[in-house]
Amino acid sequence: MEQTTQPPQSQFLDVAAMLEQSLPRPAPLRLWQVLGVFLLVVMLSTYLSSRGGQLAATVSALSALTMMGLLAGLVALSMTMVRRARAEQTQLVAIEELVRLRRWPEAAGMLQQMLTRPTRTPQGRAQALIFLTAVLARYNRFEDAIAVQNYLLQTTPLDGGTAHGLRLARVMAMLREDHLFDADRAINELRRQVTRAGRARDEAAAELAGTEPQEPQDPQSLSAGLALIEIYRDVKTGHPAEAIELFNQTLATLREQLGHRVADAWALVARAYDMLGRDAEAAAAYEKATLLQPAVELHRRYPETTTLAEKYLAATAPGPPQGGAA
Amino acid sequence: MISAEHAITRTRRDLVLGTAVKWTLLSTAVLAVLLQPILGPGSNAATALLFVVGAVWIVLTYRSMRSSRLAADSSSLIAAGQFDAAEQQIAQGVRCFSISRMVKLMNLHQLAMLRHAQNRWEESAALCRAVLRQKAAEQSEMGRSSRLMLAEALLELGDLHGTYQNLVKLYEQRLTLREALNLLGVQLDYMARIGAWQAMLSGLPQRVELAELLPTMQAARAQALLALAASRCGRCDWARWLRRRVELLVDIQALCAQRPMLWELWRSDQ
Repeated sequence: MEQTTQPPQSQFLDVAAMLEQSLPRPAPLRLWQVLGVFLLVVMLSTYLSSRGGQLAATVSALSALTMMGLLAGLVALSMTMVRRARAEQTQLVAIEELVRLRRWPEAAGMLQQMLTRPTRTPQGRAQALIFLTAVLARYNRFEDAIAVQNYLLQTTPLDGGTAHGLRLARVMAMLREDHLFDADRAINELRRQVTRAGRARDEAAAELAGTEPQEPQDPQSLSAGLALIEIYRDVKTGHPAEAIELFNQTLATLREQLGHRVADAWALVARAYDMLGRDAEAAAAYEKATLLQPAVELHRRYPETTTLAEKYLAATAPGPPQGGAA
Repeated sequence: MISAEHAITRTRRDLVLGTAVKWTLLSTAVLAVLLQPILGPGSNAATALLFVVGAVWIVLTYRSMRSSRLAADSSSLIAAGQFDAAEQQIAQGVRCFSISRMVKLMNLHQLAMLRHAQNRWEESAALCRAVLRQKAAEQSEMGRSSRLMLAEALLELGDLHGTYQNLVKLYEQRLTLREALNLLGVQLDYMARIGAWQAMLSGLPQRVELAELLPTMQAARAQALLALAASRCGRCDWARWLRRRVELLVDIQALCAQRPMLWELWRSDQ
C-alpha cells in the first residue's frame, strides 16, 4: 500500500500554474441569453404571423420548429453539463481514495491532470486543492502546501469543519518548516476559534435542554488535532514536560477523534519521555505508537522521532497466517 | 416526528404524481407546437400555452432544487449528531413536492440514514427497502448506501438470511472505498455471528489495513472481531497483536457492551 515518496517528474505539481489554470471558466451560455433568444423568436413570429397570408403560415411552422430546436438544444446542453460534472465528481472520489490509501504518485498524477485545466465547478476545484495540500505535504513541499492553504482560506468559502482541518494542516506544515513564530500565532487563533465553537455548542445544547451551559472546556480537549499540534510544538521547542502533561490530559479526545492516528501522539510523547531521560516510559510509548502505525511512517511525519528507533524496540506485526488463510 | 410508514406512503404518492405532472407538461408542450399551424396565424394561444408550461416547469424545478438542498444539508446534521434539526429538515423535504424522482428518493434515503444513526433498525430497514424498490435508485450510489444500511439493520435485527442476501448483492456491484470499508465492517460482524472464523482470516493483513481507515469505533470493532477469529483458529500471535491495538483505540467496556461476544478476548484477564 505504501508507495515511494519521490515525485514522478521534476517540475511536477507547479502550484502557481495549477492555481491559475484550474479556475473554472464562466459558462459559455447563460440562462438569460437562452430566454432572450426564445423571446426574440416568439416576438418575431408573432409580428410576422400578424401580417397574414402565405408568409404567416410559413413563419408559424418555422417558429414552431425553432422552438422545438431550442428546447432540444437546451436538453442536450444540460445533459452534457451534468455528464461532465459527474465525471469531475468521479475523478475527485478517485483522488480521495488514492490519498486515503497513501498511493501518492497516482494521486499526484491525477491532481496534476485535473488542476492544469479549468475545473467544472468552484467546489470541485476547492476539494481538489485540499487533496493537493495533502500530497504536497507528503512530498515534504511544505512551503507549497502553505501557499495553497493560505489561498483556500483567503479566497474560498469553506464550512467550519473543513476550514478547521485546513488550518490545522497549515500549522503542521509551518512547524515542519520551522516557522515557529507563525505557527504559535496560528495556534493561538485556533484555540480562540475552538473555544468559541465549543461555547456556542454548549449554549445551544443547554437551551435545548433548558439548563445552564457547562463550564467551558480546554480547546485541546475539544479538538484532538489542536492537541496533537501543541504536543508537537512542545516537543520541537524543547518543552517535553508540557507535551507529556497535555498528552495525559487529552488522551481520551485523541483516541476518539484521531483513530489510528493517535499513534502520532504516542510517538511524540515517546520522544518527550526520551528527552527527559525516562527511558522505560519512552520505550512503552514508542511500542504503542508502532503497534498502531509503521515506525517508518511515524519517522517520516515527525523527523524528531527518528532517534527513537535506535534506542527502543518497535512493535512488529505477526507474519501472515498460513495454510490458505493468508 | 415523521413516521417511516407515513414518509414511504407520501413519497410513493409524490412519485406517481410527479410522473403524471411531467408527462402532462411534456404532452401539453408538444400539443401546443403541433396545434400552432391549425389555430391559424393570428392566434397566440399556442405560444401562451408554451409559456405557461415553461413557467410551471421552472417553478417545479426550483422546488426540486430546494428540496435537494434540504436533503444534502441534513447529511451533515446527521453526521454532527444534530438529530432534531436533521429530522425537521427531512420532514420538510418529504412534504415538499418535487418532479424529480431522485430528489424524492433522496429525502427517503436521508430519513433512513437518520433512523440508522438513531439505532431504530426496523424503521431504517423499511425505509431502505422502499428506496431499493425503485429501479432508478438501485444501481446508484444512493442504492448501494441503502443496501449497506439495510444489511446492517437486518444484522442488528438478527435476520442473518436477509443480511447475507444483501451482502451478496453488494458484491455484484462496483463499490467506492468508503462503501467497501463499510461493507468490511458489516461482513466481519455477519461472519462472526455465523461462526465463519477461518474465512474471516482470509487476506488478514489486507483486512487489517482496510479496517485502519474506518472511524475509531468501527475500526476497533473490526479488529476485535478479527482478533476473536484468530484466537478461535489458534493464531494467538495475531489475536494478541490485534487485541492490544484495540485496547489503544477504544474503551473495552464500551466496545463489549455493543458486541458481548468480544468479552471472550479479555476474559482471561479478569
